[in-house]
Amino acid sequence: MTHIIFKSIRVVNPDTNYDQISDVTVKDGKILSIIKVVNINTTNKKDNTPLYDCTGLTMAPGITDIRVNLGKSENIEAIQKIAVQNGITSMVVLPNQTPRLDNPSIIDHLHRQSENPILPFIKAYGAATKDLDGLEMAELGLMSEMGAVGFTNGNISIKNSLVMRRLMSYAAMINQPIIQHAEDPDLSGLNEASTNSIKGEMNESETSTRLGLIGIPSCAEVIIIERDIRLAELTGVHYHVAHVSTKEAVDVIRNAKKRGLKITCDTAPPYFCLNETSLLNYNTAFKLSPPLRTEDDRLAIIEGIKDGTIDAIASDHRSRSKDTKAQPFSAASIGASGIETLFLLTLELVHKNIIDLNKALAMITINPAKLLKIEAPSLKEKEDATFFIFDDRTINTITQEHMQTSPTPFDGRSVKGRVIGTFIKGRVAYIHDELNQKLIK
Amino acid sequence: MTKILKNNYNNSNSSPVQLSSPHLLAIEGMAKLEIKRLLDRADYFANLDRHDDTKNLSGYVILNVFFENSTRTRVSFELASRRLGAEVINISVTNSSIKKGESLLDTASTLNAMKPDVLIVRHPHSGAPSLFADYLDCSIINAGDGRHEHPTQALLDALTIRRRIGYLEGLKISICGDIANSRVARSNIHLLTIMGAEVRCIAPPTLMPNNLEKLGVKCYFDMREGIKDADVVMLLRLQNERMSGTETPSQREYFKYFGLDEEKLSLANKNAVIMHPGPMNRGVEIASALADDSERSLIKTQVEMGVAIRMATIEALNFTKQNNIEK
Repeated sequence: MTHIIFKSIRVVNPDTNYDQISDVTVKDGKILSIIKVVNINTTNKKDNTPLYDCTGLTMAPGITDIRVNLGKSENIEAIQKIAVQNGITSMVVLPNQTPRLDNPSIIDHLHRQSENPILPFIKAYGAATKDLDGLEMAELGLMSEMGAVGFTNGNISIKNSLVMRRLMSYAAMINQPIIQHAEDPDLSGLNEASTNSIKGEMNESETSTRLGLIGIPSCAEVIIIERDIRLAELTGVHYHVAHVSTKEAVDVIRNAKKRGLKITCDTAPPYFCLNETSLLNYNTAFKLSPPLRTEDDRLAIIEGIKDGTIDAIASDHRSRSKDTKAQPFSAASIGASGIETLFLLTLELVHKNIIDLNKALAMITINPAKLLKIEAPSLKEKEDATFFIFDDRTINTITQEHMQTSPTPFDGRSVKGRVIGTFIKGRVAYIHDELNQKLIK
Repeated sequence: MTKILKNNYNNSNSSPVQLSSPHLLAIEGMAKLEIKRLLDRADYFANLDRHDDTKNLSGYVILNVFFENSTRTRVSFELASRRLGAEVINISVTNSSIKKGESLLDTASTLNAMKPDVLIVRHPHSGAPSLFADYLDCSIINAGDGRHEHPTQALLDALTIRRRIGYLEGLKISICGDIANSRVARSNIHLLTIMGAEVRCIAPPTLMPNNLEKLGVKCYFDMREGIKDADVVMLLRLQNERMSGTETPSQREYFKYFGLDEEKLSLANKNAVIMHPGPMNRGVEIASALADDSERSLIKTQVEMGVAIRMATIEALNFTKQNNIEK
């Protein structure tokens, strides 16, 4: 393979805190050199090496999205293709799909199904319990050998304290994290056995009272986290809380971290961009789990992102068909599209001066990868040339009709920036015309 | 063919009401003047002799689509439609299409193809009527959606109070019962606060929704305190399954603390009236003798006013639509 040169591109590499306008040369799938540009006018183009003039563009290591619902295994390639157009070069999928990822052979099969070298690298969480029923431990060790990067019941909270304790001790032995969707199913009415079939639909608040929808109290989240932290302390496991949505949860995790426990957490864009008042016209695109919370909660999530309590941002992608969403709110399915907006909404935190670009990128690249011990691309010499290129200035409007997955809770939101190219091990995985036009042969 | 509304009521010092929305989905968000005009118009209908000609909507098609069982509301809407001269068709969806697996939107588009002028919908899910409003061309009247609202019930309650007491503003109105699960309570809270009444809600904490005070009401767990000096005591139905250990310990315990009896009523204004949207659980929400006390109980008047209110509402929606088209 020949060289490719990306000229005068802003290289941001959170792994090394590098942020400089540089010339990047890629050869044989690896980064050959990253040279800081001293004088922008010098041209070092010789011979026929393809060269992209990337003035004004930014290069970042490929995104690792640690929370993707596939729905069905057969959707995998379609989702990979969409993800790569949005800068994602590896994804971790949840076990709640058809078939369930609760034994080693299914995980192995999923890996084999997704081995296309120019599509995002797929990793899987194994189900923590058989059939995701929260009762019997699944084959954590064997799934781990097949490459499972952690264990979780995905969208279902592991409720039983004894089961959780055993899972944690066992996972600690094999040095794997337990990932929890923290929501007490009794309090949120999601447990069939709870009082006459109440079923939580949104955050419990003045808004739920006005809408006549059944509320899920915010304490349903922190109650589970507090219990789990005790058990994590007892067992020494790495405990990770997925999609944190409440102020109380952020506070409790912040304190646990101060005590030196191995506790990490992530959140997703809806929880730092939106609040529950979005539901006022019963728009089912906002029916999420955990539910959108209050403005105070949203601000607390942003605070958690700023001070490092929240380690990572994941898309929480859970695409749903129009048929299951064009329903009365109570009957509509839960979940929304995420992979197409993960990067843009994380970038919004930079545009709003909440965090800097290095930190924003860290939250979707090395941080999530490190906590699951997944190899993360880094923009350094001799590393894999796995990165994406974006322009951070173009103003766009997110519109459902121009998206490939649905529903988006961000329909009509104005965002700044867009991904125009993704490279995996030096190969073009996605390229937008805008970048193509910058190619000088 | 454009259908023109005739205004041929005898004794007509009242006219059809122009609303700001082509639908009646909720009381929340309605203007005080709109509500007042609807009440005035319904008052006019209530005063008419049953044989007076009110058939201004002949040729109109009204669909009564009920996804939940109902007798009184459905019949009340049906009677109102007929008194306006419209054709009315009752569809009970609980036992037809839904069971065949048809989606709500498919049901809606089938109904839309019949080109109704008004669709009256009751649905077990909060917000379902607004979904119909998004997908259908006709006017929608919410006849009760989940725990959200039941606007015509609140209107008929207001009319009942106004006809008895003469006004709404400044009245002390206590609503007692299963507030959390009641659409009647929500509509009444919105309507009565808009009209300037002082609304108090009385319920055990397990049946009191989160942050209810933010809707402009006072909340009480002690019925004696909540009922003090009340001009109106409005009781709500408590479903049997909620009384036996889930939300409250037992029927008798509920009646002791939250049932209306002579002793608790004596704390209210001495002329206080009693209301209940029905169906009642005698001996649970209300002592049987009080329910039958024709001096104080307005329960039967409420049913009667229901027809007048629904006539005014259906007429107003058609009038509004007609005016919007002409514009």
